[in-house]
Amino acid sequence: MDFEFSPEEKKFKQEVHQFFQSEPELCAGFMEEWHGGEGFGPKTWALLRKLGEKHWLTPTWPKKYGGLDLPYVYYCIIQEEMSYWIGLYACIGTAMAGPVILKCGTEEQKDFYLPRIARGEIEFCLGYSEPQAGSDLANLQLRAEDKGDYYLLNGQKTFNTRCHFAQYHWLAARTSSEGPKYRGISLFIVDLKTPGISITPLMTFSGERTNDVFYDDVKVPKSSLVGEPGMGFYYIMEALAYERVTPVGAYQRLFEQLLEYIKESGKGSDPVIRQKIAQLAIELEVCKLFTLNVVSAQSKGIIPVYEANAAKIFITETEQRLANTVVNIFGLRGQLQRDSKWNVLNGMFEFIYRQSLTELIMRGTSEILRNVIAQRGLGLKRR
Amino acid sequence: MNLDLSEEQEMLKKTARDFLEQECPRSLVREMEQGEKGYSPELWRKMAELGWMGLVFPEEYSGMSGNFVDLIILLGEMGRALVPGPFIPTVVSSGLPIFHHGTEEQKGNFLPEIASGELIMTLALTEPSTRFDESGTEAKAQHQFTNYSISGTKLFVPYAYVADWIICVARAEEGITLFLVPAKSPGINLTVLKTIASDKQFEVVFDDVKVPTANVLGKVGDGWKIIKQIEEWSALAWCGYEVGSLQRVLEMTVSYANERIQFERPIGSFQVIQHKCADMLMDIDGARFLTYQAAWKVSQGLAASMEISMAKAWTGEASRRVCLSGHQIHAGIGLFTDYDMELYFRRAKAMELAFGEGDFHREIIAQQLGL
Repeated sequence: MDFEFSPEEKKFKQEVHQFFQSEPELCAGFMEEWHGGEGFGPKTWALLRKLGEKHWLTPTWPKKYGGLDLPYVYYCIIQEEMSYWIGLYACIGTAMAGPVILKCGTEEQKDFYLPRIARGEIEFCLGYSEPQAGSDLANLQLRAEDKGDYYLLNGQKTFNTRCHFAQYHWLAARTSSEGPKYRGISLFIVDLKTPGISITPLMTFSGERTNDVFYDDVKVPKSSLVGEPGMGFYYIMEALAYERVTPVGAYQRLFEQLLEYIKESGKGSDPVIRQKIAQLAIELEVCKLFTLNVVSAQSKGIIPVYEANAAKIFITETEQRLANTVVNIFGLRGQLQRDSKWNVLNGMFEFIYRQSLTELIMRGTSEILRNVIAQRGLGLKRR
Repeated sequence: MNLDLSEEQEMLKKTARDFLEQECPRSLVREMEQGEKGYSPELWRKMAELGWMGLVFPEEYSGMSGNFVDLIILLGEMGRALVPGPFIPTVVSSGLPIFHHGTEEQKGNFLPEIASGELIMTLALTEPSTRFDESGTEAKAQHQFTNYSISGTKLFVPYAYVADWIICVARAEEGITLFLVPAKSPGINLTVLKTIASDKQFEVVFDDVKVPTANVLGKVGDGWKIIKQIEEWSALAWCGYEVGSLQRVLEMTVSYANERIQFERPIGSFQVIQHKCADMLMDIDGARFLTYQAAWKVSQGLAASMEISMAKAWTGEASRRVCLSGHQIHAGIGLFTDYDMELYFRRAKAMELAFGEGDFHREIIAQQLGL
């Protein structure tokens, strides 16, 4: 048992830490674009390319595809630092599409996509949700018909957040209506510039853009298929497990900023506030330990399904509680937004109070994930 | 970074579980609630034979040179079986401070006897104010030639009736001081307290109890530092015990939910039950990780005050949530004393209160954060 990183890992963490510290303009630019709600802009791409140059976007990948062949824990160290400094800790390409391509893709797909993902040049957008397929993902209806030398795609996706700046759609489509719903799903990589695709913005109430994506007789080459036809649902489930490492660096940084404010404002002598802050500290510590537990398991090559879900639930629910507690500590001024004259800490917690709702929904709602914990973690019967 | 137990630790855990399943059935736990002693001398002797009382002491004191993580693993199994008796008061609240602060003579006298199971000890700290800070100690110790005379009232002294020695905390002229007092000394009066867990906590009145100056543990007037440590170790030990209890509560609850049929299906297949169970699991995992992290830090000689307070605040409150959910899912049957749920429910509250509940520990955390 050892709750700390090894000396080499600590040294590496320090190196990553110093890199971000030495790039304040890029980090600030990134945050501006990201919290502005429009997603990746020129500053984000510039930062990703810099990380790509160091092979830090994909440190666990083989060297021939732009990785460093490092153990899994190094990836988590980078994610924690990214989360701490810029809030974003993973790309769809690096965290979900890439690992599936690496495992199930053709040689051509690997050579074509992986090095560019690793260099920070391209991003994917998840194409899973549809109007009638949210938590019940297997109910998705977007059709992919095998036309001999191409697939013909028709249907609608919704809440596909990165489609307006990503180059590729990581698309789940129905290739068969025979048998159980989840067996007729296949995965495709689609160039988002392909004729017949139209993207329309949807804005959340925290000002973040997501999209509806319409496919109208879109022709894609047979080589767009990832892995075996009909296996898409399994790949999706596996990739979701990769994505469920939830770093807590961003929340730790928020907590540090909060603590500093409490000390400076003299509120720290209020016994009620002391209790609240201490409770947040405990919950953040639990978040950190849930994540360490997932990392520890995954480092041994185990996919920790219930543990990863528990971490996701607990961390996102803690974020909501954190924002709520802090807004209430600020009192009436807690409602003031970013550009308001009287705001506290630049309205950051007001924003997170709204934005944290997204986190509770995406990558599986807290309720769906509790089902998974109960059924797969504890062995409760399904019926 | 690695959160796994070592092979030896897995072995310790398995041995303890197998042994206690055999030797400490819940019927014994109930029997001990009724009896005067509150523990089984036979079980105590067998546990000593396995080396458990000496687990954390060096071999020179007939111990096994284990560390705090080993102790937490063992306590988890004891908590799972709800082992009644003075293990934590003897080993953690008394043995550890003697090992760290005792004279060579005191260590040589006490530790091998604790390790062999011959000696039961307890700690008389709390007074009617029930404060855990220094101001809570009002008992007086007056220096008279080669003796001290101790007078005062102590509460919540675990297993005082079966203890051979009591570590009594009292205020000497120089300040807070710890005294090793033979439990059968003249002037000591015991009254058992009727508690939620029937766990043999006592009122102990010291009326002009004489102890030789050689029986001071640590330095005269400098006792509060030791008390802080005892409080931390003991709080953490209770967390370890409770984590094991809660794991058992969850297992009982899941198995009941899978067996109990209502509306022609197992109640465990209803999402409302599943979600409660998922929350129980997260509460317990949180308690376990916090407890192990704190124990690991202690075992490495690192500062762990904040981590211990985090573990104690979380575990205490999680234990209440977990036991309540366990009871809701067991529904009617859980209310009866031939079912085990209520044993865990009552003990969870005793554990939550021992060595500080959530608010107390959150205040420590606030101080540690620099507030």
